[in-house]
Amino acid sequence: MNHSDRTGGSRVRVLQMLGAGVMASGLALFSAFPVHAQGVRGWGGTNVQMIELRPLGLDSIPLSDVTFAPDGGTTYQGRAVACRLGDLCTAYRVLPKVRAVAISQDVSLTAWGFGVQGLSFTTLLRVRDDLGSDFIWPRADDDFDALLGYAQLVQGPMRLRVGRQEVRSGLGFAAFDGGSATATFGDVRVEAYGGRSMARGLREPANEALRGIETFLPDQSVYLLGAAAGWRISRTSVTGRYHREILADRSALASERASLDFTSSVPGARIAGSIDYDNGFGRVGKGHLSVSVPVADGKVVLETTARRYVPYFDLSTIWGFFEPVSYSEVEARVGWSPTRRFGTWLSGGRRDYADARTTVVVKLLTDDGWRANAGVHWRLAEAWQLEGGYRLEWGPGGYLSSGDVSARFSPSERISVTASGMTFQQIEEFRLGEGRALGGGLSFDLGVLSRARLAGGVSVLRHRSDGVGPESPWNQTRAWTGLRIEVGDDPGLAARRRP
Amino acid sequence: MRMGLEMGRAARVPAAVRTLGALAAAVLLSAVSGGSAAAQEDGFPHERHEGLFPVCSGCHQGVPENDWATFFPSIDLCNQCHTGDEQRTDTWSQRERREGNLRFAHGFHEALFGDFAPTCEACHSAPDQGRMSVSGDIQLETCWTCHQATDHQTDAPCVTCHVPLAESGLSVGRIAGFPLPSDHAAPTWLLEDHPALAVETSTGRCSVCHTSDRCLACHVDAEREPIQAMLAAPEGMELPPTWARYEAPPSHTDEQWLEDHGASASRGECGTCHTSDSCMNCHVPPAPSAVRSLVAHADAVAPGVSLARIAPSTHESLFFMDTHSTLGASNAGQCATCHVDRFCVACHDGPTGGGYHPGDFVARHAADAFGRDAECATCHNTQAFCRECHVQAGMTSFGRLGPGYHDAQSLWLLRHGQAARQNLESCASCHAQNDCTQCHSVLGALKVSPHSPDFDAQRAWERSPTTCLACHIGNPIGGG
Repeated sequence: MNHSDRTGGSRVRVLQMLGAGVMASGLALFSAFPVHAQGVRGWGGTNVQMIELRPLGLDSIPLSDVTFAPDGGTTYQGRAVACRLGDLCTAYRVLPKVRAVAISQDVSLTAWGFGVQGLSFTTLLRVRDDLGSDFIWPRADDDFDALLGYAQLVQGPMRLRVGRQEVRSGLGFAAFDGGSATATFGDVRVEAYGGRSMARGLREPANEALRGIETFLPDQSVYLLGAAAGWRISRTSVTGRYHREILADRSALASERASLDFTSSVPGARIAGSIDYDNGFGRVGKGHLSVSVPVADGKVVLETTARRYVPYFDLSTIWGFFEPVSYSEVEARVGWSPTRRFGTWLSGGRRDYADARTTVVVKLLTDDGWRANAGVHWRLAEAWQLEGGYRLEWGPGGYLSSGDVSARFSPSERISVTASGMTFQQIEEFRLGEGRALGGGLSFDLGVLSRARLAGGVSVLRHRSDGVGPESPWNQTRAWTGLRIEVGDDPGLAARRRP
Repeated sequence: MRMGLEMGRAARVPAAVRTLGALAAAVLLSAVSGGSAAAQEDGFPHERHEGLFPVCSGCHQGVPENDWATFFPSIDLCNQCHTGDEQRTDTWSQRERREGNLRFAHGFHEALFGDFAPTCEACHSAPDQGRMSVSGDIQLETCWTCHQATDHQTDAPCVTCHVPLAESGLSVGRIAGFPLPSDHAAPTWLLEDHPALAVETSTGRCSVCHTSDRCLACHVDAEREPIQAMLAAPEGMELPPTWARYEAPPSHTDEQWLEDHGASASRGECGTCHTSDSCMNCHVPPAPSAVRSLVAHADAVAPGVSLARIAPSTHESLFFMDTHSTLGASNAGQCATCHVDRFCVACHDGPTGGGYHPGDFVARHAADAFGRDAECATCHNTQAFCRECHVQAGMTSFGRLGPGYHDAQSLWLLRHGQAARQNLESCASCHAQNDCTQCHSVLGALKVSPHSPDFDAQRAWERSPTTCLACHIGNPIGGG
């Protein structure tokens, strides 16, 4: 689809989104007239975001202009140059700024009270569009997604769901069109589900969603079958789960995995752990064991985590057959929170990669890495809150040193204003340095009606090249705004920022 | 008891002297009695009449039959002696029957025990002080010899002597003056003792001083058996005002309580204090069956405990965002108690990155993604999300692979294998699969195997032969 097509289609889709917005507004009005014995909970949200980027482009450089360094490196005006025999040398440079403006409209609704006790319906629909951008923000050209859409019946210990749903577990998120049944008998919970599987991170089957952007794909639907059993014994919870994805014609498996997750509170400590096994490739997957010990009357928390990480790829791509290796990490964290108004934490971890067992022609790359993280949140007064953090990632081929700070002023529940600043220095995968960036931003959150909130923000990044990477700074501006209308009650607590 | 006895006026005494004498007598009486209510109430001087009345029934004829008209002597009987000559004339008038809730019948005891029935003095006279040392206080110890109790207000069988409050017709003032039994002040009274007592005594003891209205001042569940066994106040009966009082059981103070309470939740366990409305402050509708079984606030007389929405202790950890996935995965369904699906979506599939990533994360996500603290592909499809953006940003390969982007490493193509196996997700976020098969395929230029020496080809072929055929012409085990 060319740009003009997209622009023409945009008008239609904007109208669709406006229609969805009207629907959300209608829901808000509906909430003003409660219906006895019925209940509705939902929200409508409109979000618009603008992002600027400066893409990389390849320049051809005449061999005569290339500077050869004593260590074998080749540069042109400070930029790294790649030369191949019989070919021109090339170097990356930063192209002019491009901008993407994407809009999305979410409508979520859960309704119950249709004369059958325990029966409810849930939908979460999303309409997106790209508003005349230079480049397409990921998924902005996917007009419509039904993220959720299921009927649920809860009767005694049983819960049945039919429709588009999602299972969140130690094996990640699995979306599918199908049915699920859950039964809870005292401390035991069993679950079974199955249906047409969606691609990871998407709400469409892989053979439809990734057509044209991926080389090797299943040419048919994939079906998911899963089961889980969980026990809660005293203060220990354990859940075992099994997933099997198989092509519709049963000619091949897409995945076959199992996981075990547990948490336990023993006197003086909390323990959490997980492990999964990929039977498709016959290897142990991710796992971790964390022990968290509160001391000083819970004001200090000491936590140690041993972690193993290996990426998961399904059997329908070639990636898993390349046999990714795991890294093992030990991380220690300490948090101090003398009051609910103040908390600070510090963590450090070291990871080691397993032997990649590859034929190395020149020399080995490093196979270990470090990371550190520190942060603080401080509610200075009822209306003022400060947050800050620092993050260091130092691994083979990549580096990040990043700090951010924010101050939020909330004179009332109806309004808050946040000023933020950040700076970072990073080196992307096996590239030369890319300089430092300094950014700042302002955002707001305003309760415009009793059940409507308007939020937005703008941030500016200023980049200073270190003179080794691409020469042009990628200074850029980003902005977003969102309107959210609530219907009914949602006891769920507000989301929190990751420390 | 006030007997209402008044002495006749002595006409021969001058008025001033009488007045002074009355004042002096009043002061003296007050000093002698020490303000004793019993002495003041029992105005008849029984002791002064000792010897005149050989039996109690001479004056209290109606006692055995509980005949109030002859319960006390008439003034005519008094004036047989108090003629005004030797003794002053009495002007005593029959007292009003005092309201009460006693069901005690003297005649019943006489009929039951005959000659062995307790004597009048056994109950009405001070111990060892003689028959006419009549006191206003009943000598309850006499009762306990048969009724097996040690204390009137705590372990006596109330209904033996008292009618239920609902049937007593007592006035609100009289009810408000009820003494508070000592066991009601015990710290364990509210949570442990009174429910046990209500069951143990089938509310018999409770009903003497209370009606079911008192229970329903706190209990939201009116259907409970002990409450049903209580009588309600009849129409028109005025009761003293009462207020609900709730104490949190010890279990509720356990730090794990929020996580644990669901296992024991039921109408029986929770219905005393909680309406379904209070549960729904946290639980998302449709309500769980245990919550549905509770009484709705609108249907309850008692206010019930108002619950504040509070996060479990696990959520208070500074590291909660990093650990919540395992908490949710290990106890699937627990999150759904308070959170609806869209709560998860707000972060994990939000159009604006609802809070999981810090602001401007996209500008610095490369190292985070490379470090793989979390698995990006859980929420972001590698091909449709990561690669689609990276391609537009120029971070991809075009046609034939060559050196260039990974410019910090010379001879990158010859050494990329280690980096690829260590960070394959990062490779896939820019490179399509056919970038790799240019070399790593039996059809490719270099036919470099991407498999390690112990690669289980048999397993791979059995599970996904179609993927094997992406690089192999036929069954690779057969040499394809």
